[in-house]
Amino acid sequence: MENTNEASFYQEYEVFSKKSVKAPIQHQFSLLAPNEEMALSMAVENFMRREDVLDVWVVKRSNIRAMTSEERMNWTKRLDNKDYRRTKGYGYLRQKWKEKEQGMLDEKEIMSWKEVKKK
Amino acid sequence: MYIYSGASQPEESSHVDDQEKYEQFMARIEAGEKIEADDWMPDDYRQALIKLISMHGISEIMGALPEKEWVPKAPTLKRKLGIMAKVQDEMGHGQLLLRVAEDLMRPYGKTRGDLMDDLLSGDLKFHNVFHMPTKTWADAGMVGWLVDGAAIISQTNMLDASYGPYQRALQRICQEEVFHAQHGEAIIMALAEGTEHQRQILQESLNRWWSALLMFFGPKSADTTGSSKQDIMIKYRIRKSSNEELRQAFLDKYLPRVFSLGLTVPDETAHYDEEKGEWVYQQPDWNEFKQIIKNKGPRSKERLRLREVAYENNRWVRQALTSEAVGS
Amino acid sequence: MMPVETAEEAKKDATYLKALKDLIYQCADDDFIISFRGSEWLGLAPHIEEDVAFSSITQNTMGHAVMFYSLLEELGEGKADALAHERQPDERRNAVYLEKKNGEGSYLGEPYYDWALTVVRNFLYETFKKVKLKAITNSSYQPLANVAEKVLMEQPYHLSHWRIWVEQLLASTEDARSRLEERLEEAWYAFGDVLELGQYATEMEHFQLMIGEDELKELWLEEVKTTIKDLPNGTPKKQLGSGREGEHTADFDQALEVLSEVYVSDENAIW
Ligand SMILES: [Fe+2]
Ligand SMILES: [Fe+2]
Repeated sequence: MENTNEASFYQEYEVFSKKSVKAPIQHQFSLLAPNEEMALSMAVENFMRREDVLDVWVVKRSNIRAMTSEERMNWTKRLDNKDYRRTKGYGYLRQKWKEKEQGMLDEKEIMSWKEVKKK
Repeated sequence: MYIYSGASQPEESSHVDDQEKYEQFMARIEAGEKIEADDWMPDDYRQALIKLISMHGISEIMGALPEKEWVPKAPTLKRKLGIMAKVQDEMGHGQLLLRVAEDLMRPYGKTRGDLMDDLLSGDLKFHNVFHMPTKTWADAGMVGWLVDGAAIISQTNMLDASYGPYQRALQRICQEEVFHAQHGEAIIMALAEGTEHQRQILQESLNRWWSALLMFFGPKSADTTGSSKQDIMIKYRIRKSSNEELRQAFLDKYLPRVFSLGLTVPDETAHYDEEKGEWVYQQPDWNEFKQIIKNKGPRSKERLRLREVAYENNRWVRQALTSEAVGS
Repeated sequence: MMPVETAEEAKKDATYLKALKDLIYQCADDDFIISFRGSEWLGLAPHIEEDVAFSSITQNTMGHAVMFYSLLEELGEGKADALAHERQPDERRNAVYLEKKNGEGSYLGEPYYDWALTVVRNFLYETFKKVKLKAITNSSYQPLANVAEKVLMEQPYHLSHWRIWVEQLLASTEDARSRLEERLEEAWYAFGDVLELGQYATEMEHFQLMIGEDELKELWLEEVKTTIKDLPNGTPKKQLGSGREGEHTADFDQALEVLSEVYVSDENAIW
């Protein structure tokens, strides 16, 4: 009986954290703790003692529906025939615009539009 | 996960406390920090964000409809796949943005369903360009190229937005917009270099879309239509530039490309004024703009009806999966 | 039967070539028409998240059609785009059940599309596709066997997606269950031609291009039963006709008109 009680002390939590304001939450590792309050208060020093941390999530592993190993095998393979939805499939436009003395709208160009001329 | 901080604060938080929090909040955004969903934020900030992001999100969902008209009709297998992926992305943008808006609305107990109801009742508006008809395949290209172009200008302008979840959604969206820009260019380029008929439908399409594109960024100042949220957006570091600055940036980027394809715009006065360093153009009819965003545009009723039928007709599916019988 | 490695080799035997082309047309046209129906749904699904997921499946499936049309291109049948957009109904080999409209109305107005039909149809079709392609991986025509192998890499996700919808809706409300059951009942009148191999079925088996119809049907039914316990009796009939023989319905005419509208609007155009 005592043994069973002690076993329930060891709950598995997955730990996620965020490094910078722009970074997404990232999985770090897992730990054992009796409940989520304890898990959260131990998580930072276990996994992020040498890095910045702006936020931490702990999620009880049993609350995570991850893919099974079979699902990982069956659901994650993709054929390499999807250039139509990647910029790779439109690279030929660069030459066409060049002929018209214009540049192509690529990632570098578009992301630079963040800065707009002040009036 | 998120606990609305307001709920855990003492009810009678004094004015002094709020003032202090406000100053702290302003200091944070001025230092470039990001505000998260459960951080304290001034009410008008939350309100402005909800209004902006729910409109942005629902416009993506409504914006899928005009382009979608051409998805099953696209002229080649590659174009069918390309435009399908593009419109799918727009639905995906709607998903990202509505999630952000929904988290902001949580303290008010509102959810996705309420947003759909607000859209259908006319309380939640969608962007002026998505009230317009699409008549030919060239319009599918024009939307991909110039409507997305205008959207890219306004979305990249908010890539440093002070609200973290919105900023992160925009980061993902703008990455995908690179594909959208090229998808649009590809359709347009084929038409511009194509047969007489193709060039003709392309020019006609541009003529049709021109004033809607100018309207996209909203009026120059509040006096034009009597309402403009641009000041609060800039004050709270949600966006950086004014409506007119964005419109000028759009013209800067796109008009030279438009002209290089041998196309013209239906405004003979449009030109670049070297001295002033800006584009001169004829103002679109801002009264018409006001009508359009009140759901009195050329296709407003039909688009809303489409959304409504799809939403109501599939209600049984959503109801079925809320039942206790399924999973946990 | 020695494996046939190339299109050139396949062209040497006229009967072999006929049976082979018919089989590939069936695969290509099935994937093309069901992905066309899927593309009409875009933006109108019951839920935004589902809309996005469904569209990827539709794109993948149209991508599979492209792979099959490309095999036909190699066999001298013409360009993939022409095969998809120009052929007349009597040349099309897709099953009739797959061309059925998504419901009343149109995607352009009053789209009273039926999610129950979509769930049932896609589940039954993806189950069939899995069984059929598995058999084709042993096909004597190597380029086709290779394509089947590839398609089977990403197709399991499609099947499991629709299986989850079937399972969950069947286990939910009375209303949802009866909607699905009604569509299953309907499928038992109309799915029959999906399971057929057309006029060259015997040759296909003889040349080891494909297993026989009876075996195909049996394997399909077995697989369907692992998900749906209470199926209608017997095996599906083909009351709408047989697409494998080039018979098609008015629903197909609507599909063809829409999908080729722009394509035929300018004969000299490159799009
Ligand atoms: Fe978008
Ligand atoms: Fe876009």
